[in-house]
Amino acid sequence: MEVEISRRKFLQGTVAMSVVGATAATSLLSNEHGGGAKPGVVSFHNTKTGTGKSHDVATLCEMCVNKCAALARVENGVVTKLNPNPLFPKSKNMLCARGNAGIQALYDPDRLKYPMIRIGEKGEGKFKRVTWDEAYEAILNGTDKFPGLSKIMDEEQDNRSTMLFCAGEGMAEHTFKQFYQAFGSANWLNHASICLQTVTSGYGVTLGSYPQADLDNAEYVIMAGANRAEAIVTPDTMDIFKRTKRRGAKLICVDPRFTNTAAKSDKWLAIKPGTDLAFVLALTYVTLNENLQDNDYIKKYFNGYEEYKKSVLDNKYTPEWAEPITGIKAEDIYTIAREFAAAAPKAVYYPGRRSTFAKNDFQLRRAMAIFQALHGGIDTEGGLIFGSKLALQPHEGLQPLYEKAQARAVVKSTDGKGYDDCAVISGGGSWIAWRNRFLEGKMPYKVRGMFCYKHNPMMNMPNSAKTAEMLKKMELVVTIDTMPSDTVMYADVVLPECTYLERTDPVKTFGGVEPSIAVRNKVIDPMFETKPVMEIMKGLTTKISKPLFEISKKYDEEIQDAIEEDGEEETYAEFDLTLPFRHTQEELNHHAVAKYEGAAEQLHHHGIFYPKQDEYYKQLAINKFQYYPEKKKYYSTRGGKPKTPSGKVECNLASFASKGIDPMPVWRDEYAFSVPSGKFRLLTGRHAQFTQSGTSNNAMLRDLMPENFIWINKRVADKKGIKFADTVEVSSSVGKTQLKAYPTEKIAPDQVFFIHGFGEESEELTWAYKNGGNDNKVIEDNIEPVYGAAAMHETNVEIRKV
Amino acid sequence: MARYGMALDYKSCINCKACEVACKEENGILMGADKHRIWVGNGEIEGQYPLLDITSNAFYPSQCQHCDEAPCEEVCPTHATYYTEDGIVRVDPEKCILCSYCMNACPYDARYVDDRTVTVDKCTFCADTRLARGETTTACQNTCPTKVRIFGDLDDPNSEISEVLRTREHFSLKANLGTKPKLFYLT
Ligand code: SF4
Ligand code: SF4
Ligand code: SF4
Ligand code: SF4
Repeated sequence: MEVEISRRKFLQGTVAMSVVGATAATSLLSNEHGGGAKPGVVSFHNTKTGTGKSHDVATLCEMCVNKCAALARVENGVVTKLNPNPLFPKSKNMLCARGNAGIQALYDPDRLKYPMIRIGEKGEGKFKRVTWDEAYEAILNGTDKFPGLSKIMDEEQDNRSTMLFCAGEGMAEHTFKQFYQAFGSANWLNHASICLQTVTSGYGVTLGSYPQADLDNAEYVIMAGANRAEAIVTPDTMDIFKRTKRRGAKLICVDPRFTNTAAKSDKWLAIKPGTDLAFVLALTYVTLNENLQDNDYIKKYFNGYEEYKKSVLDNKYTPEWAEPITGIKAEDIYTIAREFAAAAPKAVYYPGRRSTFAKNDFQLRRAMAIFQALHGGIDTEGGLIFGSKLALQPHEGLQPLYEKAQARAVVKSTDGKGYDDCAVISGGGSWIAWRNRFLEGKMPYKVRGMFCYKHNPMMNMPNSAKTAEMLKKMELVVTIDTMPSDTVMYADVVLPECTYLERTDPVKTFGGVEPSIAVRNKVIDPMFETKPVMEIMKGLTTKISKPLFEISKKYDEEIQDAIEEDGEEETYAEFDLTLPFRHTQEELNHHAVAKYEGAAEQLHHHGIFYPKQDEYYKQLAINKFQYYPEKKKYYSTRGGKPKTPSGKVECNLASFASKGIDPMPVWRDEYAFSVPSGKFRLLTGRHAQFTQSGTSNNAMLRDLMPENFIWINKRVADKKGIKFADTVEVSSSVGKTQLKAYPTEKIAPDQVFFIHGFGEESEELTWAYKNGGNDNKVIEDNIEPVYGAAAMHETNVEIRKV
Repeated sequence: MARYGMALDYKSCINCKACEVACKEENGILMGADKHRIWVGNGEIEGQYPLLDITSNAFYPSQCQHCDEAPCEEVCPTHATYYTEDGIVRVDPEKCILCSYCMNACPYDARYVDDRTVTVDKCTFCADTRLARGETTTACQNTCPTKVRIFGDLDDPNSEISEVLRTREHFSLKANLGTKPKLFYLT
């Protein structure tokens, strides 16, 4: 075999996902200087590892949500390399490109370095450096530019819900959430409704849990709407593309785009966006019509099987019916259904983990879960698994009840079906619905300020213009972050958190086939004046707890009564916000694993613990490790029994019908895909070298992909006279953005795609500033009806060469 | 003494570029897309949507082949390019005069200019970082999510790489040129 692999060819040819294309032939940035918005900033260093003295610290990566185990090499107090920690069964001795580039997050010259308060206009990004105490003081008492908590809480008569709390995903999210709980607000928004809300809930109500997939042992895998080669999830990415694939498992990739996952699949099916539900229903039809299902499993563990069967057969969801809807050939659907059944239960319809793309996403996830269960592949080797989890000792939080705190700012719908915005209100809420309600003045009471932790609403949710409006309207915005993101630019008070390499985070237990406990240990002391969120919470609550209690005393009759009865000191003890933050993180972690002998020590030194680790863990080959002996793995923990309260797979959810939601997955005509002529459906997605906007300023990653490009079908581009790297303007009803074009046959003529997370506008970001296009300036604020999750693939756009 | 080589399970590569970043961080490589010791080659897909040829989009992880008969070594006028006793092809920055003969001679396009040391640079099998510290893996091998690389001693019959090369089919790039590469692509 002869293969031509050359650097020059690579430079010219590899545009694909990692667009290194034409611009990359010249060095984008040298090691000594950056080429960003801020002139004259000497900013970037990349050090070679040495051969002298060094030590390793076991930590966990935070460059995305996976939390892979890493060993940080420290030389003379400087982190010079992040290596994979082989001990972790979840990440199996790997760190991806982002994980390796974590050093640049630590040494990013643009990091937030000290507390700041706003001195310019809202959103202008003009701040003054202050001490931590001055920052806390400003939060409590405000400045001439913005009101503080005491004024707001007094005017709102101790309605604690007048403050919104929002947070991005992360190991310390829990610490911040404890502050929210102690504060007593009912308004909590997290990333779920702009991420995986519908998939976790869809599987949750159907199987009782959002399961993992045993891709290591599966023999047949349908990966639809999940792109594991680029949207890395551990251990799935390693399992499917390494062992499973080489062992001969078949991978069917279903995606409107030809992704890197498609490149690694045995068959790629180009589906029309938003029509996966029709595809699954047709697979289900073939299964039921040809009697391919696992009748034993169904008899034992199904609720509503007959109704669902009747619905699927009566509705005639045949492959021939699905073909024009999905664009997938009927014969392919027949073949896949039969092959899946033949491989079952070692067959996986991969649940996926991604944003909601279409309004029918909840129904899609239900249909996927039921299809999987029809073949018996639940809680079993090679199928979907629940696994086992090592319990942690919980520690005390504080959840005081304030009489005047109002319930979450949502409104029940007048027809008695759920709420105005969506049918069900989840713990994480619906970000878009909440924002829009706030802007439209439809709140049941005044929300006047917000605390925002490690979260970038300006970049992370559709219709950035509205988010900007919301942030401007908020009277007090406090952000806790590591980077001067677009959202931070709208803050009144900025509290700089240290990066993940400078802090110990709450110990975490990871369930699965090979359960373990892992911890993120502090690698080096926090740089500049940054602090871990634990200490920030401690400092802030010490400042505000007493004064806020004084306000509560004024309005809260229950507190007044309690004081009368038990005295002030005893009453205050229940409302003392500092309570959850009195111990160090190390102490809390010690406590959390106290019941496992030697665990705290092991975690401190090696990062990973599970019982009998010494006996079980072995390196079998250069690239192969054993974590648990085969016989000790938790493939099946319930004999196949679903985790729903009934212990059955729920096909027919009557309770949802009363909320106006289809109780069984059915296809509706309005789900069909269509694009007006001259327009394109905008698709967005992830990438193996960037994690949303969180890594957009990482110099090392930008070196791999300097900016995002818009994929446009080559023939269409030819007709429009758009060539590679031409700048195009993408516009929708809510806004526009500009980026460069990548004409390719990997995308359909009526669709365009670009990667999320680019095009930030904070001038404080040397490399991310106005770099590439921002999808959320263009994506319209559509929400799906069940949980109010953002439906990201429902926007049609126009394209114009500029 | 060893004779180091690398076997690549290249069909497992997902083009994630973890190896490239690991190499840059380990070895302090310059920024810039043309400044890398390691890369993944892949061509533009063939066919028209949706009838695309999956195989045309294969990924070929690559780096210096550490040729046993290295053209780059042959042409170097100052003997800056040399073989170490472990069979690694290296460049001595003291002797390199940046004539760039080696860059043109290398059939694999494995070399580039390091602007700081003003030397032609390339993959060293982490000789002056990891191997110098007594480690037995290279940065690119160790970090790879799909475990594409096996690094080891070709002279040791008991090494994993020797075993793999005995038992699995493999090919070398441009084998007809007689450069005797020590990178082996497993089929
Ligand atoms: S997948 Fe990559 S970025 Fe995510 S935690 Fe693992 S190493 Fe870090
Ligand atoms: S790290 Fe492995 S999978 Fe990723 S690009 Fe390199 S060789 Fe390929
Ligand atoms: S691959 Fe090129 S640089 Fe490496 S040894 Fe061979 S000829 Fe020299
Ligand atoms: S062996 Fe070392 S120097 Fe060579 S490409 Fe891999 S990491 Fe870089």
